[in-house]
Amino acid sequence: MTRVPGASRRALGVVAVVLIAGGCASTSGLDIGYPAASANRAMLGSVAPLRIGISPVVDRRLDAVRIGSAAKGGADIVTSRPVPEIVHDALATEIGKNGHAVVTTDADAILAAEVDEFWLDIVPGYPEIQYVGKVAIALAVVNAHTGERLLARRYFGIRRQQAGPDAPDAAREVMDTALARTIHDLATDRELVAALAGLGGGASAPKSARQ
Amino acid sequence: MSKGFVVLLALVVLPLWGCASSTPSAAPAVSSPARPAFPSARRVAIVATGESHFAVVENSAEPGRTFDEVLKWNQYGPMLRPLAVLVHQGINWLVGLDRAAGTTPDVGAVSPSLIVTNALARALHASGRFEEIRALAREPLGAERRGVDAIARVTVPQWGIVRVRAGDPDLLSAFADVRAQLTVPETGVIVWETSQDVTAPDRLPLASFKDRRFTGGQLLDLLERAGQRLASELLYARSDGQ
Repeated sequence: MTRVPGASRRALGVVAVVLIAGGCASTSGLDIGYPAASANRAMLGSVAPLRIGISPVVDRRLDAVRIGSAAKGGADIVTSRPVPEIVHDALATEIGKNGHAVVTTDADAILAAEVDEFWLDIVPGYPEIQYVGKVAIALAVVNAHTGERLLARRYFGIRRQQAGPDAPDAAREVMDTALARTIHDLATDRELVAALAGLGGGASAPKSARQ
Repeated sequence: MSKGFVVLLALVVLPLWGCASSTPSAAPAVSSPARPAFPSARRVAIVATGESHFAVVENSAEPGRTFDEVLKWNQYGPMLRPLAVLVHQGINWLVGLDRAAGTTPDVGAVSPSLIVTNALARALHASGRFEEIRALAREPLGAERRGVDAIARVTVPQWGIVRVRAGDPDLLSAFADVRAQLTVPETGVIVWETSQDVTAPDRLPLASFKDRRFTGGQLLDLLERAGQRLASELLYARSDGQ
């Protein structure tokens, strides 16, 4: 019985640690990403395997500190990882899933990406809230052997969703989907497929894409 | 709260009950995985189907939020809240109807689902992944039906303008909620389906949409974009780059 107060103190200590950690977790930002499980081997997979380098993604956003503001109080909404890292990883996932090697040296092609927008709008409604997430990136494909710029494209993905005020994952899911739509547009872009095919896998690209 | 007020609320709500069900919500981003029969579909007919409803969607917090404030102090508040939600939806439906009347573009008899269907057909044809893509305004019959591996049905249940950013002024974008379903005509088996909420990248004040020609252009661009979006998801679902 004499040990009970000590145990209680330890329990209180554990509770305090958990509460503090919980508080930290709530302010650590949205864990936005493009999971490999949701990626498909699609049109980019029709190009013969290449060694593709991805340059550090350049952040061109007007407001690079946050990705939005909370509807109540206007607190900054941030991501748990830097936005350029999120976009870099999404590109690497898609390239890898399509049978190409993501490399840092001896590449056939270099993908140079810039993030133009990565933003979440929260429109207060009643009784639900509308979330609108937008991701916009610019992508250049460079022949790693010659330095020639083969292609410059812009892609964007927007997700609009209504959710109740008690939906804790709505903001993250909206941004996940906006990112996925951007990557899907990129992965099914016949001009991108043709540019990569021209680096060695030309025969596998569809005829119309090479014209 | 007096009985009279409750009766008044009910009188306002009941005629709008049917309207409440039309409260717009973004289509869920559903995209079913490709099934075995799908990659072999080389000849596809795309058919525009269903009715399309034009709407100006404000997703306003008022007057619902004010109702909540009032009901918070009333002993019957929790009981009356569902009623307040309906009144809120009814009032905003009427406001939206009024705004829709002021912004509906002059697109004549053009069907949104047909525009999306044509854009989808062009994008799939350009991909070079299909032998034959046919856009149709009606279901294929007889030999035409037997001549395809799959039929894609496209609907645009709702399109219009939606508030996408709260501020002064609020900013709005053209939008379309689109659905597509790919079936095998012989068996009726659904091999792929998706619902996409498509929103224009431009965000503009409501005043910009008072110019009907401009609004018409924004909406037509958006419907084209919707067709490309469907194509992108359909092509992405076809595994192994086939």
